[in-house]
Amino acid sequence: MSYQNWLNYLQSAEKNSMISGRLRKVLYKFPDGRQMAEEYNMDTGVVQRRAWRKCKQLMGEPQWEIELGEEPRQLNWSAANKTNAAAGGGGDADTLSAGEFTLRESNSAPLLTKRVTKKNIEWRIRNLSYPLSVYNVSADAEKRAIIVRTSNKKYFKVIPVPDLDRCSVPPLQANISTHHQFNTLIITYTKPDILCEMEAQVLLLLKNVETETDMDDLLKGLMAK
Amino acid sequence: MAETEKIEVRDITRIERIGAHSHIRGLGLDDVLEARAVSQGMVGQKDARRAAGVVVQMVREGKIAGRCILLAGEPSTGKTAIAVGMAQALGTETPFTSMSGSEIYSLEMSKTEALSQALRKSIGVRIKEETEIIEGEVVEIQIERPATGTGQKVGKVTLKTTEMETNYDLGNKIIECFMKEKIQAGDVITIDKASGKVNKLGRSFTRARDYDATGAQTRFVQCPEGELQKRKEVVHTVTLHEIDVINSRTHGFLALFSGDTGEIKQEVREQINNKVLEWREEGKAEINPGVLFIDEVHMLDIECFSFLNRALESDMAPVVVMATNRGITRIRGTNYRSPHGIPIDLLDRMIIIRTVPYTEKEVKEILKIRCEEEDCIMHPDALTILTRIATDTSLRYAIQLITTANLVCRRRKATEVNTEDVKKVYSLFLDENRSSKILKEYQDDYMFSEITENEEDGTAAAAACGAKRRVETGDGDAQPMDH
Repeated sequence: MSYQNWLNYLQSAEKNSMISGRLRKVLYKFPDGRQMAEEYNMDTGVVQRRAWRKCKQLMGEPQWEIELGEEPRQLNWSAANKTNAAAGGGGDADTLSAGEFTLRESNSAPLLTKRVTKKNIEWRIRNLSYPLSVYNVSADAEKRAIIVRTSNKKYFKVIPVPDLDRCSVPPLQANISTHHQFNTLIITYTKPDILCEMEAQVLLLLKNVETETDMDDLLKGLMAK
Repeated sequence: MAETEKIEVRDITRIERIGAHSHIRGLGLDDVLEARAVSQGMVGQKDARRAAGVVVQMVREGKIAGRCILLAGEPSTGKTAIAVGMAQALGTETPFTSMSGSEIYSLEMSKTEALSQALRKSIGVRIKEETEIIEGEVVEIQIERPATGTGQKVGKVTLKTTEMETNYDLGNKIIECFMKEKIQAGDVITIDKASGKVNKLGRSFTRARDYDATGAQTRFVQCPEGELQKRKEVVHTVTLHEIDVINSRTHGFLALFSGDTGEIKQEVREQINNKVLEWREEGKAEINPGVLFIDEVHMLDIECFSFLNRALESDMAPVVVMATNRGITRIRGTNYRSPHGIPIDLLDRMIIIRTVPYTEKEVKEILKIRCEEEDCIMHPDALTILTRIATDTSLRYAIQLITTANLVCRRRKATEVNTEDVKKVYSLFLDENRSSKILKEYQDDYMFSEITENEEDGTAAAAACGAKRRVETGDGDAQPMDH
């Protein structure tokens, strides 16, 4: 029931910070070779996006893995296609791009995104058209994850909750609530107090990271809440 | 799908051929490295096998580089058999390169290059990588091709596990893979997301009754559970030589398939050594040192031996096992004579395992094992006679008689080989002793007999070495000096 390990881990990283628009972007370079990027909303102090890059594999470039926030899926496709087209000898990008992927989930496949608000962690699964009664969302303390099952066996997902892992609390069934609307299943997990406390500590830690803009007054408002 | 059906090839049951050492499945040692009398196809030779077991243990621990072991003994005392047993005992994970001493003589490659390639083939590198794979049962597969016959194909596949179902769009390359593997609904497949490799695991049990005619090779598997996409740690095992070939700029990886690797620059090798050490430090790769086995090692010449002296000192060297059946003989490429035809300085770096001739009882056991291996039922009396023949002539000759006697026996529509069959083949096929006796008797009737009279000195010297050795030492003396 402690987040000290996580704080130490963050502390050990080499941190860079910059502000673009209303976002503060922080890049962590950990001594074990991993990298993490975060985007904080300057108005609310809530992290909007978080992505990880594992240490370099033997083959191929490392990819950013998005833990939190929207995945720029459409953008990624065109970017990947463009590089492929360039590699193909500068051919016509439009004709080449169509068949250059190996395999991808179809557009109608369910798509999971995660976001964090002040009080909750939210997962949205788009493209799920079945009624609410079909879903069974349960907390699995052993796997340290939330498991989504469907009674018609169409969708199954083990959703790890790294935020809870970091303060070493297992997910609790009581904190989960579900909602279904506009082809989207929304799973809401109420943040336990210790997680809010950890996030505040992380913000304090980031206060010391140099940025062009002064973060003090922003943080002052947040800590007061 | 009409064209893919046309080129369909029927499943052929694999034909396994029986080789000279295919009955050997290991060294036949127990947990404390004691040799069992008859085990895993090995008979007798207890001391040599125990020693080989210690060597296997040394290789498994993988700490010691560049050791050299010599298997020395008379012909047909099981030197190669022990080497094959070592290879089997080490398992498929440990690289075991087997070569004959004369393989290094090639016009396309220098001798030392051939040797260093062989040395590097014997060092494996286990590379660990985490990849994302999709594992599921095919529910539906649709591949549409344009009416013109050429152009983009469009593919869709629906995969499911016991818990979920997802549609995937297929790219052009992966459609080819699907067609090649002949994936259809009901197959359980894995797809490597990064490389796009498709692998068919088998057919789902739920589809077991769809067809009443399925081939014997059809494997039925359970539908996978849980999520379709899984992260798996895969381990590739490659040898240093393979990494060399892929990285030698002039050829590229295609050389690996054509076999035409040519010479690989020393700089490339050094770079790769450094890279592999770097990977090892980062925990991405593990070095898996193996064994290089050089049979007929007396066929190497003095240059090779001095090259080996140096190569064995590198910390990337494998354990080298050599075998020879020579006594004190000339080192190839010199006029000096030395034990086993190997220079003393290299012999000094070796530990020598001696194999001893088999006793009559052991010969009988070996013949029994060979009979089993060749699916030949032999009457005990016939086996006794065969043992007798083996001790009088040679074990190899007796083993040859098993096959031939079995054929003779089948001709008279019997199932068990009896003494008559063995006698018949013994009279039909001469062994080396009888053949040379006949040669001596009727030498004058053969062609060019007058020439041999001029070289009487040579034949007289050779005759003194005893009939069995004569052919081989004759070979050895005829070695060309220019190598």
